[in-house]
Amino acid sequence: MAKKHTNHTDLKEKPIPEGRHLLEVDNLKMFFHTEDGIVHAVNGVSYTLDRGETLGVVGESGSGKSVTAMTIMGLIDMPPGKIEGGHVYYRGESLLDMTEEQMQHIRGNDIAMIFQDPMTSLNPVYKIGHQVGEGLRLHRGYSKKEALQRATELLDLVGIPEPEKRVNEYPHQFSGGMRQRAMIAMALSCDPDILIADEPTTALDVTIQAQIIELMQEMQEKNGNAIIMITHDLGVVADMADKIMVMYAGRPVEFGTADEIFYESRHPYTWGLIRSIPEQAIDEKKPLTPIHGNPPSLVNLPKGCPFAPRCPYAVDICHEQEPVHITTETGHYSACHFADDPEFLKFAPDTSRSRGKIATGTPETIQTKPTGGEA
Amino acid sequence: MASNTTGAPLLKVEHLTKEFPAEAGMLAGRFSKRVVSAVNDVSFEIHAGETFGLVGESGCGKSTTGRTIMRLTNPTAGKVFFEGKDVAQMNKHELKDLRREMQFIFQDPYASLNPRMTIGEIISEPMTIHGVGTKEERMKTVRELLDVVGLNPEHINRYPHEFSGGQRQRIGIARAFALHPKLIICDEPVSALDVSIQAQVLNLLKDLQKQFGTAYLFIAHDLSVVQHISDRVAVMYLGKMVELSDWKTLYTEPHHPYTQSLLSAVPVPDPDVQKSRNRIILAGDPPSPLDPPSGCRFHTRCPIAQARCSQEQPEFREIKPGHFCACHCAAPFPIKESHIDL
Ligand SMILES: Nc1ncnc2c1ncn2[C@@H]1O[C@H](COP(=O)(O)OP(=O)(O)OP(=O)(O)O)[C@@H](O)[C@H]1O
Ligand SMILES: Nc1ncnc2c1ncn2[C@@H]1O[C@H](COP(=O)(O)OP(=O)(O)OP(=O)(O)O)[C@@H](O)[C@H]1O
Ligand code: SF4
Ligand code: SF4
Ligand SMILES: [Mg+2]
Ligand SMILES: [Mg+2]
Repeated sequence: MAKKHTNHTDLKEKPIPEGRHLLEVDNLKMFFHTEDGIVHAVNGVSYTLDRGETLGVVGESGSGKSVTAMTIMGLIDMPPGKIEGGHVYYRGESLLDMTEEQMQHIRGNDIAMIFQDPMTSLNPVYKIGHQVGEGLRLHRGYSKKEALQRATELLDLVGIPEPEKRVNEYPHQFSGGMRQRAMIAMALSCDPDILIADEPTTALDVTIQAQIIELMQEMQEKNGNAIIMITHDLGVVADMADKIMVMYAGRPVEFGTADEIFYESRHPYTWGLIRSIPEQAIDEKKPLTPIHGNPPSLVNLPKGCPFAPRCPYAVDICHEQEPVHITTETGHYSACHFADDPEFLKFAPDTSRSRGKIATGTPETIQTKPTGGEA
Repeated sequence: MASNTTGAPLLKVEHLTKEFPAEAGMLAGRFSKRVVSAVNDVSFEIHAGETFGLVGESGCGKSTTGRTIMRLTNPTAGKVFFEGKDVAQMNKHELKDLRREMQFIFQDPYASLNPRMTIGEIISEPMTIHGVGTKEERMKTVRELLDVVGLNPEHINRYPHEFSGGQRQRIGIARAFALHPKLIICDEPVSALDVSIQAQVLNLLKDLQKQFGTAYLFIAHDLSVVQHISDRVAVMYLGKMVELSDWKTLYTEPHHPYTQSLLSAVPVPDPDVQKSRNRIILAGDPPSPLDPPSGCRFHTRCPIAQARCSQEQPEFREIKPGHFCACHCAAPFPIKESHIDL
């Protein structure tokens, strides 16, 4: 490793230029060139994100959620990956034009990521404290001792009991929920501007998942950072997200505010996802409405709309012509030929709002203490 | 549903307990008394044609309960009766029959199918083992089954790797139905699948149940999936069954504080509902089954625990007809409607 990077000016200190957003992803395309052909993994992704906001990214397995995030972070090996077009601006600066040295400073410091599998990103041979403090040593010039001290505080902050003892333990001594907390502590160590969390709760039980979501929200309130939450769980995005991007076959098929996606969706794939979820309604048990068939191969994409082979509303044009984004004045876009046809939008599923059954009431949260009952 | 809760039960589980030695291998001392208390004193019944859902967090003993019923592992204590017969007293012949009547569907559609067998061989294997029909008859049945589960019968000679996750789970289902069993233990059959594919498989399981009158023991950690498919639902925590009732009561009037916190923690895919509902966020992880807490096993995390909870084990008692709960203070909780879109 070369010298410390303490002389870099942190990009996160730079003011966001007038009229721009914290993060702007514009028609980003990244394909893998493999022996089997070209994998169209990121195929025209666009969105914007501001400070304090949470973007939820949802879609089926293999739809390109992780690869999109890794492309933005500059973590895709090129080759086999290759940027085929588009831009990524962070505080107005083009990330795709940065050198690897600049990206190394941005990663962890300005934009931090929690990876899908904590066991592959926590190194089994290093103590937790060493790993949580690594960013501070690397980006902030902390001494070993200072970094360990701060790591202990961070573990305490994310709710790990007995942090003085736990900093000296190894990942295998942690439960799944504790590893996820340690990952969050590590990601937040340098106060990043943007936290990208790739399925941070998928492997966890619901009661632990609720703790982790609560923690991420508390941290966001405190630090004002933006969050990109990648998940296949629509419940988790309903809980956390301000904006949602729905991906299908490497493409964003719909993007909008959480309300727009859940209550005013304009894309048949989003409708299908919503209809596939077992209903919460208690008065009847209707059969679920699955989306028939399977997602297409990203190597041999069908002609026209990638969803056409599974779309119950597909007509001739869908198999011929690829739909462009149809955008409303609020920035809600849908990649469906009929997204602005009011007659077509009547096919959208019923929601609690359209049924006029808006839930009301003042929520109450009870948090138990770890020692509850022994008092 | 098709359930018949009045007649004699198809399956009766009485005080089922399963302990594993704590230390495996060379270190396992002969005199070591330490055990993993995986399942402790669990009792319930499953009736012909019904779906009995079993939920709870990772490691609470759901799979062990299923495996012990299947005799894939022997219980430490307790009894299992199938159609009134004590499974432990069965002779070889009866056990073989039992294996016909009870089938298993596994969680992992990738690992549970032998990659070197064609799907025709995989699906017909139970029939081959039990000597049902000639080879031709068996292949005819396989083709019919493939059609029933929505796969192309032409694909009978293909291998598992040529199918997607949802399709492989259909292959596992076809195999489980090959002998028209009376009970299928489904261990997390849709957990590895995307929601759209999950919905396909859940619908299939329901259709087949209607067609064949099969009962399911449906094990899962996803509460909304269990709600959708089950007639009755039981909740486990750290090896104990803590609550059991018909699905509607369990989801609208949960009495056990653990059931209440579980239900309140499930994120609902509806932002309005999500914003307006009450929640209980439990602290910490479930304790180790090596050294379960004294008294009520939930007392270390329970929001309403009393002094007696760490001393006295609550009895699993019938608080209303058909509604069982193991809690000293069981009472309906204000969580109730607010998490459900009524
Ligand atoms: N190094 C690689 N070479 C070739 N193809 C790749 C590579 N990495 C990923 N892919 C492909 O890119 C596509 C998108 O993968 P990605 O991991 O982003 O999916 P995902 O939406 O995160 O899915 P999941 O929900 O399963 O995590 C997949 O088809 C995957 O097979
Ligand atoms: N063969 C075994 N030897 C020792 N311990 C075991 C064995 N099988 C299971 N256990 C332990 O018994 C407990 C219950 O495990 P079980 O697999 O039944 O849980 P589960 O509820 O199915 O969990 P999951 O949702 O993760 O599948 C766990 O603590 C587990 O570690
Ligand atoms: S463009 Fe056609 S196939 Fe694609 S989502 Fe819209 S209606 Fe369906
Ligand atoms: S018995 Fe006590 S500790 Fe156990 S669930 Fe009931 S109130 Fe809580
Ligand atoms: Mg991923
Ligand atoms: Mg299990």
